[in-house]
Amino acid sequence: MELPPFTRKVNPEVPRLGVSTCHFVKMAATLREKQAAALRRMLNFNAPITKASSNEPQWKILVYDRFGQDIISPLLTVKELRDLGVTLHLNLHSDRDTIPDVPVIYFVMPTDDNVQRICRDFENQLYESYYLNFISAISRQKLEDIASASIQYSCVAQVSKIYDQYLNFISLEDDLFTLRHQDRDAISYYALNRGDVKDTEMEAIMDMIVDSLFSVFVTLGVVPIIRSARGNAAEMVAEKLDKKLRENVRDARNSLFTADSAPGQFSFQRPLLVLLDRNLDLATMLHHTWTYQALAHDVLDLKLNRVEIEESTNVQSPAGSPRPMKKKKSYDLNTNDKFWHIQKGSPFPTVAEAVQEELDAYRTQEDKVKSLKAAMGIEGEDDSAISMLSDNTAKLTSAVNSLPELLEKKRLIDMHTNIATALLEQVKTRKLDIYFECEEKLMSKSVQDKSLMELIADPEAGTPNDKVRLFTIALICGPHMSEAEIDQYCVALTEAGCDISPVQYVRRWKAYAKMTAAPSQYGGGGISSTGMFANLVSKGSQFVMEGVKNLVVKRHNLPATRIVDALMELKSYQDVEDYRYFDPKLLRADSSSVPRNKSPFQEAFVFVVGGGNYIEYQNLVDYAKSKSLTSPKKIWYGCSDLVNASLFLKQLGHLGKEI
Amino acid sequence: MTCRDRSNEFLSAVKLLQSRQGNGVAPIRQRKDLRAKSEFNVIAKRIGKDLANTFAKLEKLTLLAKRKSLFDDKPVEIQELTYIIKQDINGLNKQIAQLQELSRAQRAQNGKHVQTHSNSVVVALQSKLASMSNEFKQVLEVRTENLKHQKERREQFSQAGASTNMPPTTMAGQTKSVLFEEENRQNGGDYAINMDGMDKTQYQNQLTLVDEQDSYIQNRADTMQNIESTIVELGSIFTQLAHMVQEQEEMVGRIDANVEDTQLNIEAAHSEILKYFQSVTSNRWLMIKIFGVLIVFFIIFVVFMA
Repeated sequence: MELPPFTRKVNPEVPRLGVSTCHFVKMAATLREKQAAALRRMLNFNAPITKASSNEPQWKILVYDRFGQDIISPLLTVKELRDLGVTLHLNLHSDRDTIPDVPVIYFVMPTDDNVQRICRDFENQLYESYYLNFISAISRQKLEDIASASIQYSCVAQVSKIYDQYLNFISLEDDLFTLRHQDRDAISYYALNRGDVKDTEMEAIMDMIVDSLFSVFVTLGVVPIIRSARGNAAEMVAEKLDKKLRENVRDARNSLFTADSAPGQFSFQRPLLVLLDRNLDLATMLHHTWTYQALAHDVLDLKLNRVEIEESTNVQSPAGSPRPMKKKKSYDLNTNDKFWHIQKGSPFPTVAEAVQEELDAYRTQEDKVKSLKAAMGIEGEDDSAISMLSDNTAKLTSAVNSLPELLEKKRLIDMHTNIATALLEQVKTRKLDIYFECEEKLMSKSVQDKSLMELIADPEAGTPNDKVRLFTIALICGPHMSEAEIDQYCVALTEAGCDISPVQYVRRWKAYAKMTAAPSQYGGGGISSTGMFANLVSKGSQFVMEGVKNLVVKRHNLPATRIVDALMELKSYQDVEDYRYFDPKLLRADSSSVPRNKSPFQEAFVFVVGGGNYIEYQNLVDYAKSKSLTSPKKIWYGCSDLVNASLFLKQLGHLGKEI
Repeated sequence: MTCRDRSNEFLSAVKLLQSRQGNGVAPIRQRKDLRAKSEFNVIAKRIGKDLANTFAKLEKLTLLAKRKSLFDDKPVEIQELTYIIKQDINGLNKQIAQLQELSRAQRAQNGKHVQTHSNSVVVALQSKLASMSNEFKQVLEVRTENLKHQKERREQFSQAGASTNMPPTTMAGQTKSVLFEEENRQNGGDYAINMDGMDKTQYQNQLTLVDEQDSYIQNRADTMQNIESTIVELGSIFTQLAHMVQEQEEMVGRIDANVEDTQLNIEAAHSEILKYFQSVTSNRWLMIKIFGVLIVFFIIFVVFMA
C-alpha cells in the first residue's frame, strides 16, 4: 500500500524549497536538437566534439538503411554532412565499391537482413575500419553473428566500435516526432485494427512502438509518468513501456537514466506521457483544415518536412506551338526558416498577407542596394571625390555583405509564394473553405446554413474524397441520423462517385465504441466568417482570394487536447477518471495504483497510437500557448506516423471492405 | 551519453568464439597487415594536418591583432605571423590544386565511389581553405582598424604643431589605396612640433624625435601597404577557390532527394515494360508469325538433313 521506506529518498515529486521556478532550465533543449547532437557525435566516431577535431578533417563514409535515411534527412543536410567529414552517403543495400582506406560509419537497424549485408561487407573487405551504430539495441544473438563473421573473414581488428544509439524515432520539429515514414504500413491504423490481425503481429507492432518511445526517453534522459485509457492498444503500449523502463532503471549497472546523464537538469517534476489511441477521435483525421502547415500536409502531401509542387511552364517546342511542361520542384520547410516558424500555425489568409508584407520589405531593401550601386557608379568616375570613397566603401561593404542574406530571403519568399499559390489553387477548385466551415459547424454543433445534401450533390465542390470526409464527420459528430437517412446519403455519395466503404466502417465503429461522451467532446468551438476579402484585394496583392471566405476560427479544444488538459491540471473530468497510472520509478508494478502526484504537470508528451496529423499537433501547440501566461506548459506531440486525410480515408476504406 | 557502447561485449564474444573454435578452421583470407595506403589519402591527410596547423597560427594572430593597447603593440611579430600565414595559404592552395590533378588523373582506374570520395575530399579541403582565407582577411581588416584607432589616440596624446610630410617614397607607391587617402586627409596639420620657446638641445631632441616618428610612420605605412597587398592577393585566391568549388558543387540538398524521383522513374519503366509485355502476349499475329518462321526453319532443317 504505502511506499517501502527506501524509495522515499528517490521520490522526485517533492519540490525543493525555492527552486520550483527552474523547471525548464535544461529540459528546454529540444528533442530535435538532442537527436541532432547525438547524430553529430556518432559521426565523430562517437567521441565528443572538440575544437581540435573540428579543425582537422577526418574523412568517413556513411552507410544507412531506410530507417536511418528517414531519421537523418530532416536533421542534417548534405552540406552539414560534408562539414562533418562525410564524403559519401550510401544505402546499405546498394552496390558499393571498395574504398580501401577510409573508415565507414553504419547507421542501421539491427535486423537480420542488415546484419547479413554487413557480414558480406566484411567478406568483401570494402573499407578500412568499421564503426557500427545500431538505431535500437542489438540483440546478443546478432552480436555473436557479427563476431563470428568477423573472425571468419579475419577483420576483428577492423571492427572498431559497436554502439547502440537509441535514436529510433524521427523528429520533424522541436516538439513533433513520429516513428516511421517509409515503413509506415506496418504500424498504421489499418494494421492495428484489421479484422484478421494475429496476436503475434499485434505483439510485434506493440514492441516496435515501445522500442521507439523508449528511445525517445533515453535521448531525453528522463523517466516520465505514464497515463493511458483502458481497453485499447494504448494500454498495451503503456504496460510494455512501463515494464521496459522499470527494468532499465532498476538495472544499476547498465541504466541509461543515471542521475548524471543530464547534467544540470533541474526539473524536479517529471513529465507526463499520455498515451492515446486513434479510436478516440477519428473526425480530426478527416477534418479539412485551414492552417498553413496542416494545409500543406493535406493538400500538398508534406513528407518529412518536404513538399513537392508541380509547376507548369510554357516551353517553346521545336514544332512551334508552346507546350506546357510540368516540372516538379521540391521545397524544404524546416525551423531554420523564420517565416515558416512563425506562420506555420496561422490560418491561410494571414499567411497570404504575411508573404505579401515580406515581399514588400524585400523590394525596399533591394531598391536601397540598387541606389547605392548607382551612387557608386557616379562617384567612381569623379577623381576629386575620392575622399567620399571610403564612406561609400563602408556602405558598399555592408551592402555586399548583406547580399547573401538578401538572396536567401528572396529564395524563401519565392518558395512560400509558390507554395501558397499552389494551396490557393487547390482551395479554390475544391472549395475547401466551404468544407472547412461546414465541418467546424458540425463539430461545434451550431446550425448549418447549407445543408449537407446540397454540398454532396454539388458536382463542382471538391473531390469525391472531400465529400466522403464531410459526411463521415457528420456521421461521427453531427446530430443523430436514422438508418434511412444514412442510406439516402450513401446513395447520393455513390452517385457523386465516392467509395462509401469508409462510411460502413465508421458506422460499425460508432456502434461498438461507447459514444456517450462523443457529443460533448467537440463542443465549445465556433466560427465567424467575416465575408469577402476586401482588404486583401485592395492591397493589390497577387493572392486574389475573392470568392474565398476569410474564416476566423475560434479556438476550441479537440478531444485529445481536452484529455491532456484534464490530466495535466489534475482536473476531475469524467473521461479520465479511470485512466491507468504507471510510474516506472516505483519499485513494484502497481496495477491498481492511484495517482500519487498532487501538483499539476508542466511538461507533457502526447503520443497517439495509430496515426496522427498536424491538426492535433497545432491544437496542442495553441493550447500550450494559451496557457503560457497563467501556467507555462511545454507539450510534445508524437504519433506512430503522420497520415493525411486521404491516406487515412484509404485505410478506413480497406477496413470497411473487410466487414 | 544516450548511447551504449557494445564494443567490449563484442570483443568478449569474439574471444569466446575463438576459444570454441580451437585449432579448427583457418581463417578464410589472410589479411595483409600493412595496407598500402593510397597516395591520394596520404596527401589528403597531410594537407589536413597543415590546415589544422595554419588554423592554430591564425588563432594566435587573431589574439594579437585584437589587442588595442597603445604601447604593447608587437608589429614585428604580427608582420612575421602574417607573412608566414600568407605563405602557408599559398602553399596549401598549390597543394590542393595538385591533389585535384591527381584525382583527375586517377579517374580512369578508380571506381565510381572512390572517385566521388576523392572529389568530395578535394571540395571539402578547398572550402576549409576558403573559410580560413576569409577569417584571415577579417583579421587583417581588424588589424587595420586598430592601427587607425591607435593613430587617432596617439594624436590625442601628442602635441599639435607643424606637420611632417609623409616620406615621399610611400607616395610614390602605385597603390591608390583608401587608407592612404585617409591618412593624407587626416595628416594635414598633424605631427607638428611645437617650436615656441625651445632650446637648441630640445630642438635637437625634437629633430631626433621627428626622425623616430618618421621611421615609425614609415613602418606603419609599410605595414598598411603590406596588408593591402595581402588582402588583394587573398581576394584573388578566394575567387580562384570559389571557382573551383562552384565547379564541383553538389546539387543535392538532402540525402533522400533523388530517391523519390528514381522510384517514380522505376515505376514508370516498370509499367512501360508491363504494357509492352501485355501487347506482346496478346498479340496473336505475332505468335502466328513466329510459329510460321519456326516451322519453315524446321522443315528446311529436316529436308537438308534427310
